[in-house]
Amino acid sequence: MKEFRAWHLFLLMGLFGLFFLFYQGLWGDPTVLPPVIIEEPAPEILAPVLYEGEPIRLSDHLGKVVVLNFWASWCQECKLEHRFLLALKKRFEDNPNFVMYGVNYQDKDHLAKAYLEEHGNNFEHMIDMKGIISIDYGVYGVPETFVIDKKGIIRHKQIGPVMGDVYSELIEKVIEPLLNEPVT
Amino acid sequence: MSIELGHFAVVTALVLSFVGIITPIIGLKTRNATWVVVGRRAMISMFILLTVGMAILIYGYVTEDYSVKYIYATSNSKLPIFYKVAGLWGGHEGSLLLWAWILSLYSMLATLIHWKSQPVVMPYLILIESIVLCGFLLLILFLSNPFERIFPVPLDGKDLNPLLQDPAMVVHPPLLYLGYVGLSIPFSFAMAALFSGRLGEEWLKATQRWTVFAWTCLSCGILMGGYWAYYELGWGGYWGWDPVENAAFMPWLVVTAFLHSTMVQEKRKMFKVWNLFLIILAFSLSLIGTFLVRSGILSSVHSFAADPGRGVFILGFVCFMLLLSFGTLILRSAKLKSTVRMESMVSRESAFLFNNLFFLVALMTVFVGTLYPLLMEVLEMQKVSVGAPYYNAVFMPVALGLIFLMGVGPYIPWRKSNSKNNKKLLKLPLMVSLAAVAIFFVLGVQKPYALTGLAVVFFVLTAIFTDFNKVSAFWAKREKISRIQGFFSAYRGNPRRITGIIIHLGVLVMVVGIIFSSMYQAEKILIMKPGEEVTLKSFRFRMSKLYGVTGVNWGGQEALVDVYQEGKIIAQMHPQKRFYTVSQTPTTETAIHHLNMGHLFVTIPEVAPDGTWARVRILHNPLVLWVWYGGGIMAIGAFMNIFRRVRRRSSQVTDTAGMLPEVSPNIAQPTR
Amino acid sequence: MIKLLALTVLFLLTFLLLFSQNLSAQTTPEPPPLSMNEDNLQTKTKEISQTLRCAVCQSESIWESNATLAIQMRDIIRERLLAGETGDEIRAYFVSRYGDYIVFKPRFRGINMLLWGGPFILLAIGMAVLLRKLKKWTARPEKEKPEPLAPIDETQRQRIEDELSSLK
Repeated sequence: MKEFRAWHLFLLMGLFGLFFLFYQGLWGDPTVLPPVIIEEPAPEILAPVLYEGEPIRLSDHLGKVVVLNFWASWCQECKLEHRFLLALKKRFEDNPNFVMYGVNYQDKDHLAKAYLEEHGNNFEHMIDMKGIISIDYGVYGVPETFVIDKKGIIRHKQIGPVMGDVYSELIEKVIEPLLNEPVT
Repeated sequence: MSIELGHFAVVTALVLSFVGIITPIIGLKTRNATWVVVGRRAMISMFILLTVGMAILIYGYVTEDYSVKYIYATSNSKLPIFYKVAGLWGGHEGSLLLWAWILSLYSMLATLIHWKSQPVVMPYLILIESIVLCGFLLLILFLSNPFERIFPVPLDGKDLNPLLQDPAMVVHPPLLYLGYVGLSIPFSFAMAALFSGRLGEEWLKATQRWTVFAWTCLSCGILMGGYWAYYELGWGGYWGWDPVENAAFMPWLVVTAFLHSTMVQEKRKMFKVWNLFLIILAFSLSLIGTFLVRSGILSSVHSFAADPGRGVFILGFVCFMLLLSFGTLILRSAKLKSTVRMESMVSRESAFLFNNLFFLVALMTVFVGTLYPLLMEVLEMQKVSVGAPYYNAVFMPVALGLIFLMGVGPYIPWRKSNSKNNKKLLKLPLMVSLAAVAIFFVLGVQKPYALTGLAVVFFVLTAIFTDFNKVSAFWAKREKISRIQGFFSAYRGNPRRITGIIIHLGVLVMVVGIIFSSMYQAEKILIMKPGEEVTLKSFRFRMSKLYGVTGVNWGGQEALVDVYQEGKIIAQMHPQKRFYTVSQTPTTETAIHHLNMGHLFVTIPEVAPDGTWARVRILHNPLVLWVWYGGGIMAIGAFMNIFRRVRRRSSQVTDTAGMLPEVSPNIAQPTR
Repeated sequence: MIKLLALTVLFLLTFLLLFSQNLSAQTTPEPPPLSMNEDNLQTKTKEISQTLRCAVCQSESIWESNATLAIQMRDIIRERLLAGETGDEIRAYFVSRYGDYIVFKPRFRGINMLLWGGPFILLAIGMAVLLRKLKKWTARPEKEKPEPLAPIDETQRQRIEDELSSLK
């Protein structure tokens, strides 16, 4: 073997390190982002509603499980999940400890109303024209769904539509256990 | 039908690339030159075939053949013919074909030009170029085929991305590829030197012009990309430290380092392994850049659609090329006993070493900054972003160090310098730069970073002009001519040196442009209704009206913005918000007003649907044009270098001429 | 001399580094809300937005981007500035909502320190190695004195003269 110098070793290590990095990197998706504000107190919300009525204040619902769904009328995936959302609301309609709100994001009043008329509606919506609520909740895009427990802590964040397996898991593994938690 | 002909031509080129790989190997084994001649013919045929392939695709664009998927995706019947042709490199597949075509053009030219003068290199050149070409043709034909058809045939194309419908974008990719790919020629020569064991200076001398040409194209390509981003993306900056921009910048840094360090080897026969390493690194980085851009591994404004299949193939190819080249370097470099002959710590040689150190640190900064988010993600530690604030804090000081060296390195004599000479070298530039700082401070330039930058610029500027003066005086005296003629004599005597310094001057101009346009940029974003006004520095912008406009393939709104200074109207600007109907994409068209080599810059990124208000971005970018003027000066210097007259001198004279330090330390060093 | 040069460069770098730290430090002291006229509100908003990533874009800051989210984030920065918050507080707010991903300059802590300090450490090591090597290389000729500069003889001198005059 010819004489082997330190820089040879460094060079080869560097090369293989780089190849490994690139290979691993190929399977990642640079656009997927880790959720951030889970297990933290839900930021307070005070927002006007889409239809007539008093503004919504989140802290009024302390002691209840709150589902927040961020949506927009221009969002395709929202249309996919909409009937699941209606079903979700219907399922817990009689539970006094369950509250569900839609947060209409980056949208126009009349477009949002037209959307709800077309796809049906059974829960209340607030409007977030300036994105203040959405940014406060670290929302990247719609749809995103948050579940807040009775103590006002964000316990679950669903990025993307709530449908199919995601829907049943959300009910069985998140909402129902949370509803059964005692209020302290 | 004709599209299949083009497809067939490219397939044949792929087959021939295997011929180009095999024949030189056989030729080398059997020591029979006939095989190499076959390889040469394969090389020429590949170029012709790829030209046919390109021409047929272009014909498809012009005749609006939307049965071809790629043409369908990047063109439209409403496009002006200019952009129809440019649609060829408006997407991933076609731009790869352009890459391959340029590579085949380079390899053919290099084979033809050096056939007689470099017979030993030829088999290796044909071999290496064919390997690279083969890799790219495989990628084109199997994973990104621009000749693929679709059925049913669409009536019209999806249109070229409106952002690319711009003259700068027509020229930018070919220039960039001319730069990237041009590096393959010195790279092949270096590999030939390693394989054949002829590790002298010959490969450097033979490829010097190729390298400078590639460097020039790369520089111009990068600058043009910057200019495009400046007015087309409409945020008023020309460099965003985006991963894809970095991918082009990294090879540039290494080639620049290489161009400097080769001078040491040519002159003093030192650092042979280092130079081989640098050129291999430069070409590797251009391959890695291709991987980064086309695999979608990094998130960038400019990246092509992600496709892991392509990513894996390109990565495999990059691994192969890097292991082949660096492996050969490792195995062969043991042969090279380093023969460093240095006489003094302070000499041109050591200055070049520091130059290389700084370039390498600059490279590492960009490299690590670009890959750090990826590293963190792979290690599953956290998701981070590295952007402009990082580079401004870390890269800029290193760059300033490099510029400072520009004022010292070229003026220290080779071999040895004495302290008296050194003091003389530093004294005047230091004084001038201090004076300049004082003057600028009084004039109102008071940001410390800007002042430091200007100090360095004036230091270098003084050093350059002192030297020019000295050289001209020397030649004027010797040949009894005027100083100005003396300068031209100096240029003829040592064109490489003078052109190099012209390039340095270009860099200085650019640096001044960067300092002022970034640190003294004034900018506001606000919502304006027609009739409203806003002031920015001494300018008053009044939006007089908002109205609808339409173009051939777009519709949109335009604002009329009047600019007043000291009560007088100085400009009427027409920024637009366009909506391209076919591709359903909005763009913002910048309005630019030239003002004292700076720009007033207005865009309207958002317009109310009812046309009652617009979100307006207004900027004053002082001296921003200097960035590109500097680039222009650099290009002029580089072309003067490439097309300098070849002087035939016996090497003996050159060597003796180098030993005239006592006559004039900096002047009499003609090369070649 | 070479040491002098190296020192100058290092001095320059530290100077710059200190100043760049200073510059970012200057933005931290709380500005009294009264001084928040439109002009410096715009400048401050720009300064802060440039360090934040537009989460829905591809590697653009929220200052550069025209996406709705970016526009809304800029508005929030503006409002928080008006409420008297500092740049660091505003950045911390966005990090608490979107994670470290949202800031373009990774925070100076943990492994990130290597990112920030790496280039400078590399430069320092490179300088040290280079200076040592240079010392070693230049020390050799003194021991051996292999090739003193050959004096130029008359014929060579003549050739140079000819060469030079042929340049006209």
